[in-house]
Amino acid sequence: MPKGYFGEYLTLAFFAGMMLLLVAGTLGLNKLVSPKVHRDEKYLTYECGVDPVGGGWSQTQIRYYLFGLLFVVFDVEAVFLFPWAVVFDKLGTAAFVEMVIFIGILALGLAYAWRKKVLEWL
Amino acid sequence: MQIDYAAVAPELVLTGALCIVLVVDLVLPDNRKGLIMPVSLLGVAGTLLALLALAGDPTRTTLGGMFVVDSFAVTLKILFCVAALLTLAMSYDYLRKEGIHQGEFYFLLLCSLLGMLTIASSRDLLPIFVSLELVSVPAFVLAGLQKIDVKSNEAALKFFLFSILSTAVMLFGMSLIYGITGTTNLAEIAVRLAATPVLRSIAVLSVFFVVVGFGFKISAFPFQWWVPDTYEGSPVPVAAFLSVASKTAGFVGLLQIMFIAFHGLADVWRPFIAAVAILTMTFGNLVALTQRHIVRLLAYSSIGQAGYILLPLAVVNVNGGSVNHEAFAASIAYLLIYAFMEMGAFSVAVAYGREGGYFIDDYAGLGYRAPGLAVVMTVFLFSLAGIPPLAGWAAKLFIFRAVIDGHEYWLAVAMAVNTVIALFYYAKVVRRMFFEPAGDGPLGVKVPLLLQATIAVSTVMVLLVGILPDLAAHLARMSTLV
Repeated sequence: MPKGYFGEYLTLAFFAGMMLLLVAGTLGLNKLVSPKVHRDEKYLTYECGVDPVGGGWSQTQIRYYLFGLLFVVFDVEAVFLFPWAVVFDKLGTAAFVEMVIFIGILALGLAYAWRKKVLEWL
Repeated sequence: MQIDYAAVAPELVLTGALCIVLVVDLVLPDNRKGLIMPVSLLGVAGTLLALLALAGDPTRTTLGGMFVVDSFAVTLKILFCVAALLTLAMSYDYLRKEGIHQGEFYFLLLCSLLGMLTIASSRDLLPIFVSLELVSVPAFVLAGLQKIDVKSNEAALKFFLFSILSTAVMLFGMSLIYGITGTTNLAEIAVRLAATPVLRSIAVLSVFFVVVGFGFKISAFPFQWWVPDTYEGSPVPVAAFLSVASKTAGFVGLLQIMFIAFHGLADVWRPFIAAVAILTMTFGNLVALTQRHIVRLLAYSSIGQAGYILLPLAVVNVNGGSVNHEAFAASIAYLLIYAFMEMGAFSVAVAYGREGGYFIDDYAGLGYRAPGLAVVMTVFLFSLAGIPPLAGWAAKLFIFRAVIDGHEYWLAVAMAVNTVIALFYYAKVVRRMFFEPAGDGPLGVKVPLLLQATIAVSTVMVLLVGILPDLAAHLARMSTLV
């Protein structure tokens, strides 16, 4: 363990060096030892799968993203609800009220999405 | 676990206000959305009242020591609320004129404010992290609120990418600290770091990562690249909010971690912080010299200001004592003063931008066309430059004194040189306003009432604190944190 002022910064230098070495090492080793076979199949999108149809640039329906966000609402709810339900009888009424408030806020999020017509698939 | 509801009352009030704002947004028809603004204003005012009720109380600790309400927390929370009120007043007319969605704007602004309130009370790595994210995530959306404007999109995307990168780096540092100390409580970390000198090298590494993570949030060099583009692209009131409230929140988190948890390692990070502070102010001030857009000029100037605020950290003493206390108070006092001069400058930019424009060339002859606006802009710019008897001068004096007390004379010299450079570009705008002929811009600029209020409040604060600097110094020194 190096001492002194610069010794302490040596840790940083060591860390940075290791980081660079790791990246350069793995990439370099890969380049060195991997066999290179140039065949047409190599250049397909899915090398050992179905042949791709159409171009690589396609748009995803933005609604999937909104549904993903809505899923998080229920997901978070579940994460808190289950542990709470397990020890429910040991907690007082305060915990019950707090959970009602929590669910209320989440429900507000759902109501917001509903009102903004996210739930309708056009 | 017993919760001290009185301690979290301001946050509870704000959360309630948030929900009401969201519901009001849902039920109002599109042409009446402007009504959400008074509702939000009332919500923040209520939060402010709840805060004032807490002022002067003895320190309250709740949520297992994570959440502490002391004079430091209350002072900064009041500052955040005032900044939010000024932003609300500034944005009302701006949003209507630019046709920006109003409902979500106010809701997101209040969300961000909630994060700022909680970060001032957080004495634990976890709530600091969660609060910082609560500050940032709504701000990404706020920056990109002008959906059809490419620059606004760019602003949001740059802000988002840089911010999540910095968060990842910061989290890595925090996980290292938790790994070696086994706790996330700031005071406890300090104790355990002192007790385990063997792991010092890992501690140094984690301090480095945490500083880098916060460096992005407070726009310290070399992590400031997103700032000018984000400020320029986002709606101007949002830029004001980012440069004042969001930056202050970053500083609050950083100052707490450095002063409470890491001061034992100050020997290691002091020179690093000194270098970052000097580079930040020099870079900000030098690049600001070449700017032609007023918001970009203010953005670079705010980078320069971040350097000044960071400077007292470079004199922190390992053993604590009065030097630390003064350094901490100097940074806090600067933050308190900086908020008003920056808010003022931005609100004049918004006021003039409605009819004139946002380029510095547009400001030619403003002293003839709208003398009142030109005079207050001069006050804010000269205050930012640190000219007596304005508040910015007092702020710089506090920093200067703290650095001298810490016997770091070369830092004081570097700061003085930077102040001179900064004066140059602030004075350039002033010269353009008063000593250049007016172009074909409008004669007499109409300023909406709310914007007038914002400008008036900022002007009064800048002048008042300039004449009575003890107002800010006293508030900052009350803090018992260090």
